[in-house]
Amino acid sequence: MKCTKCGNPHVIIKKEESGQLLCKKCFIKSVEKKASRTIKKEKLLEKGDKVLVALSGGKDSVTLLEILNDYRKRHIIDLCAVTVDEGIDNYRQDGVDIAIGHAERLGIEHKVVSMKDEYGITLDEIMQKDNHRGSCSYCGVFRRDLINKAARDMNATKIATGHNLDDEVQGIMMNYLEGNTDNISKFGPKTESKAKEFTVKIKPLREIPEREIGLYAVAKDLDVHFAGCPYAQQSFRKEVSDVLTHLTKSHPTIKYSTLRGYDKIRQAIGDEFKKEYDVGRCGRCGEPSANELCRACTFLKELDVI
Amino acid sequence: MGFTLKYKDIDEKRDLPSDDYSIKNLLNDLDLSTQSIVSKQNGELVIEETIINEGDEIQLIQIIYGG
Repeated sequence: MKCTKCGNPHVIIKKEESGQLLCKKCFIKSVEKKASRTIKKEKLLEKGDKVLVALSGGKDSVTLLEILNDYRKRHIIDLCAVTVDEGIDNYRQDGVDIAIGHAERLGIEHKVVSMKDEYGITLDEIMQKDNHRGSCSYCGVFRRDLINKAARDMNATKIATGHNLDDEVQGIMMNYLEGNTDNISKFGPKTESKAKEFTVKIKPLREIPEREIGLYAVAKDLDVHFAGCPYAQQSFRKEVSDVLTHLTKSHPTIKYSTLRGYDKIRQAIGDEFKKEYDVGRCGRCGEPSANELCRACTFLKELDVI
Repeated sequence: MGFTLKYKDIDEKRDLPSDDYSIKNLLNDLDLSTQSIVSKQNGELVIEETIINEGDEIQLIQIIYGG
């Protein structure tokens, strides 16, 4: 078996969806090219942007940092990073240390922010409460809040997240299965808000399968935190992911077709279902909010933290 | 002689069941998914169809943890 592109006999991937075989060099190039294509097609970057990478230390965010650093080296953008410490014992610290290492290696501005410092409670402590809503609800809301605040502190013009093809398709299916038209209408490669305090979010890796991102990190010998969140097994996302993985065995292109299909109807869904909220202020923290309390403060109140 | 398997905390010698025993066969025997694992043969990344030889060191790296 030889690389379909260059004929090199040392093949590292056989793509089930296309039958394509690639050697290490051609595979690395193909991942970087795919991310560049998404960036160009969706107009995710502009010259002069300061991009904040949400850097957990996992394969997706480390790969994203590596790819965006190439734009930085070419003086197209400036780069900085933030790592969120949710407070998960025996899990998060390894990722934090790896993230610090990458920021130092590349010489980029980086900060670590923690749920404990910002809200006075860790995710582990929340999960000890009887009335919790499930880990992912808190993690999603608090992490978004912390990353957005970091983007403002660091004067970032974009927030880049490491969402891959699998994440995107899971998100589309989860929202559809839950009938959440509000979320579906906001979903996509680039999320903008009317509130100027919310920095534009971009997903340059959304067309790259999760497995290829893992393989890229190993092929490039990147230091990565390969571990699973201890709370992930309890999530609805995991259930949807299992169904999609099962379907992919007999339908290898199904994740691509789901994303392509969604992208085709994205504009129409947005036009039909996107709600225009009045941007008010949270009565407690002052962050933009359509309600009296923002989502983060609503959760903190429920948890008796405030 | 067999081959050496390295996976997480495992570092052990294993017998080769046949001449055409592949990494895919090994993953099946270990009940591991080809979707979540990448494999190295003597330090080099390889595809799962690769045949394991006597004396090889096979390293399996889990890259997807779910959730």
